[in-house]
Amino acid sequence: MQYKSQAVAMPYFIAAIGLFVGQIIFGLIMGLQYIIGDFLFPAIPFNIARMVHTNLLIVWLLFGFMGAAYYMVPEEAETELASPKLALGLFWIFLVAGALTIVGYLLVPYETLAEMTGNNILATMGREFLEQPLITKVGIVVVVLGFLFNISLTVLKGRKTAVSMVLLLGLWGLAIFFLFSFYNPDNLVRDKFYWWWVVHLWVEGVWELIMAALLAFVLIKVTGVDREVIEKWLYVIITLALVTGIIGTGHHYFWIGAPEYWQWWGSIFSALEPLPFFAMTVFAFNMVNRRRREHPNKAAVLWALGTGVMAFLGAGVWGFLHTLAPVNYFTHGSQITAAHGHMAFYGAYVMVVLTIISYAMPILRGRAANPERAQVLEMWAFWLMTVGMVFITLFLTAAGILQVWLQRVSDTPMSYMATQDQLMLFYWMREWAGVMFFVGLLCYLVSFFVKGGTATPARA
Amino acid sequence: MNTTHSPAAPQPAHAPRLAGDLAIWIFILAELLAFGVFFAAYAFTRASNVALFDAEQLALSRNAGALNTVLLLTAGYFVVRAVQAAEHAADRIAGHWLAAAIACGTGFLAVKMFEYAHAFQADISLSSSPFHMFYLSLTFFHFMHVILGLVILIALWKNVRAGRYRLGDMNGLETGAAYWHMVDLVWLVLFPLVYVIH
Amino acid sequence: MSGVFTKAMARNIFYGGSVFFFLLFLALTFDTERELPNRDNRAELTESAKAGKHIWETRNCIGCHTLLGEGAYFAPELGNVYERRGPEFIKAWIQAQPTGAPGRRQMPQFHLTDEELDELVAFFKYTNGINTANWPPNIEG
Repeated sequence: MQYKSQAVAMPYFIAAIGLFVGQIIFGLIMGLQYIIGDFLFPAIPFNIARMVHTNLLIVWLLFGFMGAAYYMVPEEAETELASPKLALGLFWIFLVAGALTIVGYLLVPYETLAEMTGNNILATMGREFLEQPLITKVGIVVVVLGFLFNISLTVLKGRKTAVSMVLLLGLWGLAIFFLFSFYNPDNLVRDKFYWWWVVHLWVEGVWELIMAALLAFVLIKVTGVDREVIEKWLYVIITLALVTGIIGTGHHYFWIGAPEYWQWWGSIFSALEPLPFFAMTVFAFNMVNRRRREHPNKAAVLWALGTGVMAFLGAGVWGFLHTLAPVNYFTHGSQITAAHGHMAFYGAYVMVVLTIISYAMPILRGRAANPERAQVLEMWAFWLMTVGMVFITLFLTAAGILQVWLQRVSDTPMSYMATQDQLMLFYWMREWAGVMFFVGLLCYLVSFFVKGGTATPARA
Repeated sequence: MNTTHSPAAPQPAHAPRLAGDLAIWIFILAELLAFGVFFAAYAFTRASNVALFDAEQLALSRNAGALNTVLLLTAGYFVVRAVQAAEHAADRIAGHWLAAAIACGTGFLAVKMFEYAHAFQADISLSSSPFHMFYLSLTFFHFMHVILGLVILIALWKNVRAGRYRLGDMNGLETGAAYWHMVDLVWLVLFPLVYVIH
Repeated sequence: MSGVFTKAMARNIFYGGSVFFFLLFLALTFDTERELPNRDNRAELTESAKAGKHIWETRNCIGCHTLLGEGAYFAPELGNVYERRGPEFIKAWIQAQPTGAPGRRQMPQFHLTDEELDELVAFFKYTNGINTANWPPNIEG
């Protein structure tokens, strides 16, 4: 660790991993509820479990992004963090607020929670992924602004690199587009239209900047390739991401009441959205092949390469599968959407956060890389989780194809629930793939506690 | 920047050289891909609505389109002359060529706005028919490219007058010129496709 | 083929390209806002329908159902439920939950008043009238 203040990243990473475990447990519960409908009802109805599952994902990724920024920015700017105390204070505020929100979801009926937290003053709740109570949303804004203030100040007083500028731009974009979560018009079409300004412009816009910056940082560190080369490609990739992704928002505007030209604009530009992901994969492999040194942290290199491949498959290929309007007409809102969502989030954002954790955590613990045995276990975790996710995606895709066929394409369409009964085999297989993923996650947790004889000493 | 390249050093005499920055070529390819898919979509949709497309196409002003073609081609020629002049260190002349190109490009925008004003009076919008959707989408997408191209040309003009480009250090100028030529090229497909062929 | 490839140029293209496409997105958004009155069924967006939307949100219905194809995929699409089931069925169904049938998916009991039920139905009626370019492909959603 080159700068003392980088240490504040550690609690962020630990919290991220802890919440990740919670997310997966709720995922397994929901997977079972798909099969045994009344499992845990009425203690944890499906809608509550889903809210916990998706909100935990968002919050732990935010923890991961913030931890990554606190780790990367001092090293990039070549100066200590502006205020480590602020970073630590915001950590506890965010953790407590996040935990209270989740506890609120689980223990208080949602409509009571809404009343208690000022939803009648400004109604923002009850929309997918933006279910958080008003005070939590305000809390997120406050924490993120404090965080941005802290790292922006750090960048301003130190060296300004392309990596840190792109990271900052992505994080500022994250904060700015989140403000649309406070806008909830009565008109459902407009509600949905601007809801995507948060959701799509996050995951297929500014988050891609964050992801690319994280990946570029780790690649610079583990390959030793010249920073100039990596930063040039970083710019090319994020250009492609925004050029295709911004108008690509149109692929969400096909069937929600927006004008029909979005079917063309959305189809054409989102058909090009795989390009940046493909470029990212080629870029990651290229840089690793051109490496100028063998970094002792093999696991981090594996995560970095895996991110490229899985983001391309999940966001690129699985996104393209159903993004063209004539296809999407049949697949919209089916299990195919769920399949794409799972692999895209895992491949792009889960894996990139695990990449930076894999790279930074050993250094934060005072060594360049973990002992051999710990790394082997971490790589087992990589493969179990990744293969598990591939199977989850394949089974959901199969379920989705059958669902679309029975419920939408057929001349004698079946009702929604009758169709669901036909999908049980795939839901069972998905659940078992989920168990495989969970085993991988447990291996990952254990890998932090494996001690081996030959830890690589921290490099000077 | 490329100030580190000395004029004589980089290329063996006959090695094919890519004019302009590699980054712009990646971007140009992506842009051509987007336009290409859009053109294909137009042709595909037209195939199933030939009569409607032909009728509404006739309402467009081919004269305005032809005038704009001339303006863009002329601007493209001026940009070529500007690059040549700058290579011979004739910065003042290069500046004049660029200013002429900017004038032609601005003329293109004026003609196009005249056309749009006409269209809006006739209640033509993105939602009024499939042909209008494509006509407005394609031309407006291109229109914005012309605006961006002009912003770039103006930046080049300022740099040329400041004497920033020299033989062997033409990267910025060539890059901007390459972008402008792409805008030209797209129009050369767009004009016959949308205004003429039926 | 050889050529230069500078970071400064890549950066300029990034900023230029992003601004360009964001402006294009704003232009399309502007046109969308102009076009929406023809499509979004605002005539049926009554006070009652607005109250219904609030009920929809505060019961987190989107956590199981889809609405115009967006939401969770655990329970039926409700964008066209007004047409599929009719107002009386919808109200009776909500009041009868949960079914308690063993092993089947369960919907919670929300204890809605008659007035709230009417408001929710008004919301579904409004939603049903939105021009969704003929989605869903059939009445089953």
